[in-house]
Amino acid sequence: MFELLAQVEIRDRSGGDCVTDNGAFCFGWLSDNWDRYVDPTIEHLFLVGVSVIAGFLIAFGLAYLSHRRRWLQSGFTSATGILYTIPSIAFFALLLPITGRGTLTGLIALTAFALQILYRNINTGLNNVPDDVKEAGIGMGMSPSQLFWKIELPLSIPEIIAGLRIATVSTVAIATLAVFAGAGGLGGEFTTQIDFKTNVIFASLICVTMAIIFDVGLLILQALLSPWRSAAVEGKTRSTRAFGMFRRTAT
Amino acid sequence: MAGETSSETLSHPSKPAVPVTYRNVTKRYAGQESDAVHDLSLEVAAGEICVLVGPSGCGKTTAMRMANRTVEITEGDILIGDASVRNREPAQLRRQIGYVIQQIGLFPHRTIGENIATVPGLVGWDKERVSARVEELINLIGLDPEMRERYPSQLSGGQQQRVGVARALAVDPPVMLMDEPFGAIDPINRERLQNEFLRLQAEIGKTVLFVTHDIDEAIKMGDRIAVLKEGGVLAQFATPAELLMAPADDFVEDFVGADRALKRLALMRVRDVDLWEAPLAHVGQSTAEVVAKLEGAEVPHALLVDSDRRPLGWLSERDLTSETVPKTPDSTPNPILDSDDILRDALSDLMQAESMYAPVADPDGRIAGVLSVEIISDFLGSPAAMVEEHAAAERPLADV
Repeated sequence: MFELLAQVEIRDRSGGDCVTDNGAFCFGWLSDNWDRYVDPTIEHLFLVGVSVIAGFLIAFGLAYLSHRRRWLQSGFTSATGILYTIPSIAFFALLLPITGRGTLTGLIALTAFALQILYRNINTGLNNVPDDVKEAGIGMGMSPSQLFWKIELPLSIPEIIAGLRIATVSTVAIATLAVFAGAGGLGGEFTTQIDFKTNVIFASLICVTMAIIFDVGLLILQALLSPWRSAAVEGKTRSTRAFGMFRRTAT
Repeated sequence: MAGETSSETLSHPSKPAVPVTYRNVTKRYAGQESDAVHDLSLEVAAGEICVLVGPSGCGKTTAMRMANRTVEITEGDILIGDASVRNREPAQLRRQIGYVIQQIGLFPHRTIGENIATVPGLVGWDKERVSARVEELINLIGLDPEMRERYPSQLSGGQQQRVGVARALAVDPPVMLMDEPFGAIDPINRERLQNEFLRLQAEIGKTVLFVTHDIDEAIKMGDRIAVLKEGGVLAQFATPAELLMAPADDFVEDFVGADRALKRLALMRVRDVDLWEAPLAHVGQSTAEVVAKLEGAEVPHALLVDSDRRPLGWLSERDLTSETVPKTPDSTPNPILDSDDILRDALSDLMQAESMYAPVADPDGRIAGVLSVEIISDFLGSPAAMVEEHAAAERPLADV
């Protein structure tokens, strides 16, 4: 029924041939109607941003705890793994009786989805810090928390940001389903007007662009936060000028 | 030790070293029947290098690590100066004991300068003081000042090892623990780093506990050597010379090896033996003069030197056929030995170069004489070697 209404609406607003024939991509229609994508895009950004940040904070807390108490690691990995496996749509359905339809339900499900990727990567990063580096830190008189914040965490940044990149890009895609929880986002465009090619292509394009921007942004952040890695590459091949540039900006 | 953090001097002379005393120290790990270290008593005098040596599993690293409580003592006590380590807060204690490990363990995400500044940062020095100290240490270990901004991955293994030593020395701790510090370095660089460290130690005079499994390294580095056997039992605690001449039991004798005579070479330095003199030649000098000098000379080859008497190369017969001494001699002097080299390293350099003679340079690079294989074999055969090595072992690096 949504679909029908929407089609009617589109035809009412611009009636060009391209739209009636449902052509490959109607630039004319788009230039008259681009503003209808602004709000869903902002909603989408909000969903992705909040759920990834919330997921990161929770995952970081869990990783911090299980770093001190190793026996927690397998438990946390399984628990976040289960949350990750629940299909998002099923998750929305499960949450509906508790949190009702709306943004909160969407955010909870998306956060739960991002949690596993983030937890696993933070954990891997912390576990991969070389033993000799830790031994040197302890032997020089660092307390456990100094070792964590000054040595282990900075050395885990590459893995942590790798996790953030995967989590963000996947959440951009999964967030299109949040519309079923009544949380809005670009998913609304697909579900209401799935037959109208221009709409589907353009909404997808926004998602893809968003994912690319997040990905590149995080990549830049990584280069800024871990200048020693690019220094190592530079020293060996002298081929990564771009990273060298970021490093200079950082210092 | 509170005064240490508030001291205002920047370019301070090293603080006086303190003795380290092990009193009946035992380490037993939970769930293990036998001790890892058993009733170990050692007195390491202030400013001495004490090497803990033994086969793997003899507890030497465990014994060393109890001194900074990275391993807890089960029974007994360790004193740094007069103070027991047992009632010190471990992190505080560790900041006042230099620590160098085999894998070096530099922090890959911190620059060389930041790595060296680790402990000063932990004890709360102000920025200017830290910066001045880092500069001083980079100089001390002979690194290019611009290395300060580099990351560890941009340095060679040998340079990283030097930084590891500088980092351990940052707050000028009276005691240093070194756990196989040269173990991961290739043999050629190891020899150089050992020499460098001995030279440095002559300057800074720390009390050093040095762990190695290599008896040759122990003999070269140690003022005293503690040989441990399985179960962390002390087999012998003696000077290198005593160890070579009077092993306490079969275990020590075996561990020191059948080539004890040869190992005595490690007790002597090139400057301690009577070197030979080679006829010296300068570029442009008439060859007749040089040939005349060759008559009856100790070394039957003429050595080309520059105006500062730095060795340039051996002159061959062909070089001497021309009127005057040519600019480039046919054979370059390989190796050039250092007067600080121990005889063992010098001999191995000679063997490697398949050479009978090698010029010896003094610390300024000037020719000090020529070492020949014959000098070394005479030394090995002479009873005087026994007497001399005593003297050498007492203070092998006194006047560097």
